[in-house]
Amino acid sequence: MSEGNKNAAQRSIVYCRARITKDEPLRYISHLDYASLMQRAIRRAKIPAAYSEGFNPHMKMSFASALSVGVTSDAEYMDLELSEMMAEDEIAECLRPALPNGVRLLGLRIMKGKPKALMALTDEAGYEILVPLRGAFPEAQAAIGAFNAAKECMYLRKTPKKTREIEVRQYICGEIQAEAAENDLLCIRMAIRITPGGSVKPQEILTLLCEKFGLPVRAETALIHRCGLFCGGKELLSAGEVKP
Amino acid sequence: MVSLTPDLLQAVTKPARYTGNEWNSSGKRHEDVSCTFAFSMPDVYEVGMSNLGLKILYEILNRRVDTAAERVYAPWVDMEAEMRARSLPLFSLETRTPVREFDFLGFSLQYEMIYTNVLNMLDLAGISLWASERGEDETFVVGGGPCVYNVEPVADFFDLFVIGEGEEVLGELVSLFVAWKKEGRPGGRKEFLRRAAGISGIYVPSLYVPCYDVEGNFCGMERLDEAAPAVVYKRVIRDMDEAETMEQPVVPYIDIVHDRIMLELFRGCSRGCRFCQAGMAYRPVRERSKERLRSLARKMADATGYDEMSLTSLSSADYSCLDGLVDDLMEDFAGEQVSFSLPSLRIDSFSIGLADRMQQVRKSGLTFAPEAGTQRMRDVINKGVTEENLMRAVSAAFEKGWKSVKLYFMLGLPTETDEDIIGIAKLAKKVVDRYQEIKGKRGAKVTISVSCFVPKAFTPFQWAPQDSLAEFERKQRLLKDNIRDRSIQFNYHDARVSRLEGVLARGDRRLSKVVFEAWKRGAKFDGWSDQFHEEYWLDAFEALGVVPEYYNGRERGQEERFPWEHTSPGVSRAFLWTERERSRRGELTPDCRRGRCTGCAVCPTLDVRVIDREAGK
Ligand code: SF4
Repeated sequence: MSEGNKNAAQRSIVYCRARITKDEPLRYISHLDYASLMQRAIRRAKIPAAYSEGFNPHMKMSFASALSVGVTSDAEYMDLELSEMMAEDEIAECLRPALPNGVRLLGLRIMKGKPKALMALTDEAGYEILVPLRGAFPEAQAAIGAFNAAKECMYLRKTPKKTREIEVRQYICGEIQAEAAENDLLCIRMAIRITPGGSVKPQEILTLLCEKFGLPVRAETALIHRCGLFCGGKELLSAGEVKP
Repeated sequence: MVSLTPDLLQAVTKPARYTGNEWNSSGKRHEDVSCTFAFSMPDVYEVGMSNLGLKILYEILNRRVDTAAERVYAPWVDMEAEMRARSLPLFSLETRTPVREFDFLGFSLQYEMIYTNVLNMLDLAGISLWASERGEDETFVVGGGPCVYNVEPVADFFDLFVIGEGEEVLGELVSLFVAWKKEGRPGGRKEFLRRAAGISGIYVPSLYVPCYDVEGNFCGMERLDEAAPAVVYKRVIRDMDEAETMEQPVVPYIDIVHDRIMLELFRGCSRGCRFCQAGMAYRPVRERSKERLRSLARKMADATGYDEMSLTSLSSADYSCLDGLVDDLMEDFAGEQVSFSLPSLRIDSFSIGLADRMQQVRKSGLTFAPEAGTQRMRDVINKGVTEENLMRAVSAAFEKGWKSVKLYFMLGLPTETDEDIIGIAKLAKKVVDRYQEIKGKRGAKVTISVSCFVPKAFTPFQWAPQDSLAEFERKQRLLKDNIRDRSIQFNYHDARVSRLEGVLARGDRRLSKVVFEAWKRGAKFDGWSDQFHEEYWLDAFEALGVVPEYYNGRERGQEERFPWEHTSPGVSRAFLWTERERSRRGELTPDCRRGRCTGCAVCPTLDVRVIDREAGK
């Protein structure tokens, strides 16, 4: 069979979704760099990834939601197109030894048909922040309580290109939780809404809590961790499947 | 272990420069080994990680069970400020061990303008800057890389240098160290260095004292110990197929300068360009076999997951089996989406054809180095390329769909006239016009990148004066005024940096103090235009009463003794002088690779030979 025919015969695309982590050793890697380290891992694992056509072929892979530099995660979701069928266990078995220290494979599924884009599915993200407390815990509780009680809360978002004021309270589902953790750490939990119109980053909320509500911590000393990504309250691994 | 807190890492640009843990990086426990070796290139991570030599040595040393090799690069200025503010010492990437706890710290010296970074890194590490002041238990500071062919301006900061290719000699050095340590370090630091000087290719500067005559001219090296050879010849790998090499390069997480597999086709280049130190210093040519290259390519691709491979060498298109190799590689990697590239293109249509085949449809720019604008000037520098060669090459490129071409030139070459400079502008214009002839429309983008010539040790131009700053700047203006086509973009180098490079490239040991003083005044990252401050250097020269023109501005006599001749690549002074004379007459000297030996003396002196697979040599 010629190369062309073979490709045509095998053009039954298989969609695979994985839940992976970005652990402490990779905390300071950017989202783009995280994507390319995964591509290299998939190549090392010799998983038959599909590539785009054209001048500059790239691996057909997409992520749910970009993660900032400095944030770790137990909930990175990745869709990968395969050019050949491969069993779930087999993919996992090949992939695991090829993953660098700092990425663990938590789950993997072959999707039924072409799933909806992860990016479009994701509507909520859960975060946990650990930050050294520089005052008394009740002081922290009061600050967070005041935020929770507020109906609106304006935040000045500065990017290299422009500065713009946004209302961020709308992006917090329910209330932000706080509890005292070991070693004088404050543990903050929040669920952030991801909407087509926009969202907010946990760092931004933390900065706001410090600057406007007097939360007694230094935002730059915080360790932020993404613990979940959801679609309508459901874990993303099985969300958005389209019936074949 | 040095701890890096989140607020520190959040405060600096690209924190991943400092966090290590990359795929294929090592991380042995120091308790389990007898020797620890920190490899450094004194530049930022992205530059340092792109250095092929260090990658090879890192992997080779880590194969030894008795040795842990780690990496450390220069912290960028923001990180340095944070480290100094928090009193954090310079640390290794793998285990975050303070660098001063390593047995060895090896610097790869790629270019002179990075010398102040060596001092800065030693200072950050808490290692004594001057080798003579280092205590018994301090780290041995080792230097290597192309600058060793005149390393005197920084000799006082190093305990020893590796001259030439490091693959074999570094292991010998480590074995010597381990044995000396087992014996209970007899004779201390001094005795170890004395023993090291007995290894072929190791230069221990403290065993040599430079002598100067009454006028202050260098007149020879006095040896303090019979262990120190009169001339330390470079080490050279005889057979590139047999030599140990890299198979599992470290894969960085952030984008680095050369973020791809580097497949080294051969070492050396004997085209004999008279300005080129690499061409003289890395002789003779030694090719790898096609089979060995194929197997290395496969191993490295599997071990890294890279989808890009560069076929590197000083002039890769000269590899005798290139055509076949490219065919084989494309077949071996069919369906794996690996792209191949040639970093240096020869100026001919063969190269264009190859580039076309390799790049398939991705038409990024092509780069050529005619080096000079007129035939006369190209003959002087023995660049065996004619205008016709260039026009044919660009024609082929335009026909194949390329639009942008980058051309490298030099200003200030010996015997250069204004006509030669205007010739650069004319040549660029011809390239632009050729595009229009072929395509029937305008649309070519021609970039000319013009550097300032720096005469280097161990080249036929080692006797030559360098142009003054005013002359360089006049020439840059002259060239600029002669470029009238808007499709030509003109880039040029800062002549002040090149002048300084000219001082260091042929300086003597007295310049150690200047480097030190410049660093004390704040000089670092001198090769980065936004970090370069000429005044630090000018102040340092003045404070020490050193006249830079003595080093870069005068014609040197035929008989003058040079302070670099005791660390030699093996090329003879007589050959270099003959080449200088031939250059004056515009006579070309052919490549010895497939033709006759032209008598540079490297092969007989070092007992090596040219290995060219096609010529069956
Ligand atoms: S000694 Fe002769 S063959 Fe060997 S590199 Fe020199 S010129 Fe070439």
